[in-house]
Amino acid sequence: MKLRAHRFKQNALEALANPVLQASMKKAKGKFVDKRAIAIKEIDDFEATREAAKEIRNRVIENLDLWLEKFEQAAAARGAHVLWAKDGAEICRLVVDIGRKHGVKKAVKSKSMLSEEAGLNLALEAAGIQPVETDLGEYILQINDNEPPSHIIAPVVHKSLDEVADLFQKTHHTPRKTDIPQLTREAREVLRQHFLSAEMGISGGNFLIAETGSVALVTNEGNGRMVTTLPRVHVVITGIEKVIPTLEDLATLMRLLPRSATGQSISNYVSVLTGTKAEGESDGPEHLYFILVDNGRAEVVGSEFQDMLRCIRCGACMNHCPVYQTIGGQAYGWVYPGPMGSVLTPLYTGLENAIDLPHAATLCNQCGVVCPVKIPLPDLLRKLREKQVERHLRPWFERLAFRLWAWVASRPALYGLGTRFAVRYLKWLADGKGSIPRLGLAPEWTRGRNFPTPEGRTFRELYAQRGRA
Amino acid sequence: MKVALFVTCLVDLMRPRIGFAAIELLEAAGCEVVVPASQTCCGQPAWNSGDRAAAALLAKKFIAEFEGFEYVVAPSGSCADHVRSEYPAILQDEPDWQARAVALASRVYELTDFLVNVAKLDNVPGSFAGRITYHDSCTGLRSLGIKAQPRALLAKLPDVELQEMNGAEECCGFGGTFSVKFGEISAAIAERKCANACATGAAAIVGGDLGCLLNIEGKLRRMGDESTQVLHIAEVLTAK
Repeated sequence: MKLRAHRFKQNALEALANPVLQASMKKAKGKFVDKRAIAIKEIDDFEATREAAKEIRNRVIENLDLWLEKFEQAAAARGAHVLWAKDGAEICRLVVDIGRKHGVKKAVKSKSMLSEEAGLNLALEAAGIQPVETDLGEYILQINDNEPPSHIIAPVVHKSLDEVADLFQKTHHTPRKTDIPQLTREAREVLRQHFLSAEMGISGGNFLIAETGSVALVTNEGNGRMVTTLPRVHVVITGIEKVIPTLEDLATLMRLLPRSATGQSISNYVSVLTGTKAEGESDGPEHLYFILVDNGRAEVVGSEFQDMLRCIRCGACMNHCPVYQTIGGQAYGWVYPGPMGSVLTPLYTGLENAIDLPHAATLCNQCGVVCPVKIPLPDLLRKLREKQVERHLRPWFERLAFRLWAWVASRPALYGLGTRFAVRYLKWLADGKGSIPRLGLAPEWTRGRNFPTPEGRTFRELYAQRGRA
Repeated sequence: MKVALFVTCLVDLMRPRIGFAAIELLEAAGCEVVVPASQTCCGQPAWNSGDRAAAALLAKKFIAEFEGFEYVVAPSGSCADHVRSEYPAILQDEPDWQARAVALASRVYELTDFLVNVAKLDNVPGSFAGRITYHDSCTGLRSLGIKAQPRALLAKLPDVELQEMNGAEECCGFGGTFSVKFGEISAAIAERKCANACATGAAAIVGGDLGCLLNIEGKLRRMGDESTQVLHIAEVLTAK
């Protein structure tokens, strides 16, 4: 996926000015937030489960190499090939090679964020392999000229029913319909042909299970099962951090993942896929490949950002983020939006390429509260800001402003004098009114709201006077 | 008991009357209030913007000013939490200072938390009459657990009717420097907060952090609402 994170501000403004997106986001927020609140009440020991999940993820990440090795051995023992990719380009090369080796002309795809990281669809097309997205949301985006997703589990959450209706009419050459079941049926009919004719299935993986060499897929549409069991070849692409030790660990994490993500007790489908088709089995792939991807992850291991690798991609942080709720996911400019994306994008693509993202949060900590694996997202965002300052990546006037403020604020007499003048100036500027509509000192503030007028004297002045009186 | 008041820079500059209201409340609870004259800013804006050096400079200044007191109280959950939760991290490379930060941390309180849980204020001197709605500021709420305290105090005023808004716990979009880095996004979030607050029909939106209140007030006025008051809880709880 093309990186547009450096345009965050501009992207956000476009999102604010888009009424369809605004209406869709409003609707989505209520759904995700309210449903999660109900679903987490179903487990009595929710907090203890969160703690357990955090421990499972930490246990893996602290010894990632060992668990990956274990996974590799177990997967190979069941007939799978385990390949390693260091970046997106390597993912593309490996998948294209696999496709060529097996004479693949068409690949059906279930949701995979790694495939977005790699821009895999373009690479497949260039190699003469037709990629077909089969997750309904991803399919809608693909037929809309490969539009980027706006949410990691609800990629078209920003779109309206009318937009989808128009798109289907144009693409499928069918009469326009706005009934959701009918639209879904239409997509199913189109996709069914692809499932039956594709030689290769490409999926992501929610978890890799080290003890059995399996991949676990958590989905709500049947497409995931079709993609992974119908074609002769199945390619799983996941980040190296997705491994967990045991099936029992999977059970713990599965208590949290759907509840945090969609507010479901359990998703419609949970598939645990192990090995290639055995003799006498009617479905499953003849060839199974795992592509385990670094793409910036290995560098995070052992760093002060390691907590981020616990992420299980539920999307709760974005669903509850006031900023995400206001601008949607595409504004963040890469694969991962919201608070988790504001940490991951700079880490995986470079601090200098996502200069605004660590700042694109009010640090309200709602993301930290809802994260099922207790990632301290606000702390990580703040640490990224610190790294940016250290590397002089922030604008000079911003860095100067905080230095200057600290310099003045550490000199009480100077501070007292400066603030006396400042509040008088502001009071004069307000010209008797309760608030100032336009303030040159804080242009960003007054773009969307007034600046309230100060009382006109500072507390320290008044207190000193009162003391004398 | 002897209490040092940390006025906060926003109160100092924008709404001194909140500082005086805090003094009145603390005195009503039987405290002897001291206001260290050299205090300025706790350094939170610098820390949240990634400037560790500036944050450390102001943290040390704050510690030196306030560590001699039994209690330190601030009319702001966000500033109180900054001292409590962040100072030890800010000063992690200077063990002596870090130890002093840790020693101070547990004695720093947000105003309503202190009034309810430490000073156990009984008689609230306020005289506010009418319907209000309460905005729970993020840091106070999620970091210091401030939710019941302001409501318990408001309940002591017989003529105040508290009407909860939808999303009282949702961020107002202020976020300190967020509001001046991303003005439009911040204002759009504030608009949602104002709409929820106004839907209660309240005459006043009340909160415990001036940053949020300035944000909400600025948005209300831009929306053309000149009548809804935006007040700090200390103002409501006193006769100011």
